[in-house]
Amino acid sequence: MDRWLLLTATLLAIVGGTWGILSVHRGHRSRWTTAWMLGVLLCQFAFLALRGEQRGACPLADRGEILVFLSWSLTLFYLIIGPAYRISLLGVFTAPVVVAFQVIALLPGVLDADPQEVRGANPWHETHAATSVLAYGALALAAVAGVMFLVLDRQLKEHQLTSGLFRNLPPVRELLVSLVRLLWVGGALLTVGVIAGLLMPHDASALPHLIAALAVWTAYAVLLGVKTLRGLTGRRLALASVVLFILSLGVFAFI
Amino acid sequence: MELLCLGLNHQTAPVEVRERFAVAPHKLGEAGRELCEFAGVSEAVVISTCNRTEFYLTSDSADAALERLETHLLGKSGAHAEAVAHFYRYRKGPAARHLCRVVSGLDSMMLGETEVFGQVKQSYQSALAAGSTSAALNKVFQRAFGIGKKVRTETSIQEGSTSVGSVAVDLAEKIFGHLGRSEVMILGAGEMSRVTAQSLVSRGARSIFVSNRSFERAERLAAEMNGSAVRFDDWQDVLERVDIVISSTGAPHAIVRREDVERVRRARKFRPLFLIDIAVPRDIDPTVGEIEEVYLYDIDTLEQIADDARSKRRRQIEECERIIDAELAKTKLPGT
Repeated sequence: MDRWLLLTATLLAIVGGTWGILSVHRGHRSRWTTAWMLGVLLCQFAFLALRGEQRGACPLADRGEILVFLSWSLTLFYLIIGPAYRISLLGVFTAPVVVAFQVIALLPGVLDADPQEVRGANPWHETHAATSVLAYGALALAAVAGVMFLVLDRQLKEHQLTSGLFRNLPPVRELLVSLVRLLWVGGALLTVGVIAGLLMPHDASALPHLIAALAVWTAYAVLLGVKTLRGLTGRRLALASVVLFILSLGVFAFI
Repeated sequence: MELLCLGLNHQTAPVEVRERFAVAPHKLGEAGRELCEFAGVSEAVVISTCNRTEFYLTSDSADAALERLETHLLGKSGAHAEAVAHFYRYRKGPAARHLCRVVSGLDSMMLGETEVFGQVKQSYQSALAAGSTSAALNKVFQRAFGIGKKVRTETSIQEGSTSVGSVAVDLAEKIFGHLGRSEVMILGAGEMSRVTAQSLVSRGARSIFVSNRSFERAERLAAEMNGSAVRFDDWQDVLERVDIVISSTGAPHAIVRREDVERVRRARKFRPLFLIDIAVPRDIDPTVGEIEEVYLYDIDTLEQIADDARSKRRRQIEECERIIDAELAKTKLPGT
């Protein structure tokens, strides 16, 4: 059942993304992307609820669950940020990332076929896992906004202003404002996650993961510090958001 | 009963003729009521914009009504009898088709412009309020508005910016969103920069700084735009705070050099900067455009974008006319 829910979420994201891309290609903005993505969120939520019940804890016990939790968090932030800042096109850029994460989760062996109950769940561990993955959702969306900025920046610099994509992309300043806000939200959640990670009981095997998490936190803190205190060009900020997010996924390799 | 249209526009009459026949907006209803007093004329709507004056009538004796209207217009305007050569006349179906073309912006000087739709609607409302329209013209105008909307939504006749000023404003909005938080600096108080800056102000630009070699001219333009004048030696200081710079001086060399922008980048915290160079020879060194957060557009680029949009609109004419003909064929309008 859980796999079917995940498959449905993935198919909805494919339909939503494709619909949005075709609309943009025709020079329109798809009003349905948000609706499709809402369907994706509900299926992801049902999947996570089912797995959570089976685990008897927050469903973050295997890489597949982490990827789905991450996709859910990304979709959730899109649904909060997109309509609020009228960046409906964010959904078109978000959908492929959600599809990529969920397709990996659906690969054989990534999700435990028979999820076992997690014994001796610790509240600090639960907090660490949940807030960290939520943080990754916000940071992933910041990376998506960064990609959108880079596309728009290139089109404006090279005076390529006729495509449907150009017409539908939100203004540079709005993209940068939402990117920075997402970085702050992601950074704050990551801080809670890292603190909870330091407080949870752990053995020596968890050390590489904690060091990697601290490195990611430091990198984002430096980025936000430089942006706030010194200032940063939109292109560098966007590039840094994309590169940092991709590199930070390496943290999961140490779980 | 026939639907009639008599009028003149920018294609058939020069401005000195058009202005003689223009009707003030507050007199449109009254003008329509006057026409209804002609023998055989049952309904009338008068449209008057800067590019056209048109009279739509319904009459049982079309020839007599048109002749009476021409005599009335010549008498009222004091124009010579030869002025009638500038008039065009449409009867029945072609009159309705012409109205649809006008409403759709196909007959406008700026192809596809949207303002004319509102102007025709306003003229119709005036006639309605004055009681000079009834069943026939009501149906014709309502249908024309419906067709006009369909043409505008189903084609790209109103897409893109077709003048240098509107291209600059659209680009500014693409970079900064709503211009309410954007500040503008004008270098050189020429006509072109004044028009472009006014467009930015009309879209909400927060404040305008004007810098010119002649400080008096800068002050005059600044006063006109509710802005501030800046001495030409001090414009670099203002560069630190503004988001948009429009440059149009008559200088034979570059005024804005790369080092001028490099110097203020840090103080600007690397915020986006939109530079519009509408001077020939160019005022802004092209290498300024290589700076990451700078978006530089010169007059050729802006003209090219406007020209592309105009060409695109021209390519849409056939499709728009196909929609108009197809829609008119669906219903038999009164008097056509």
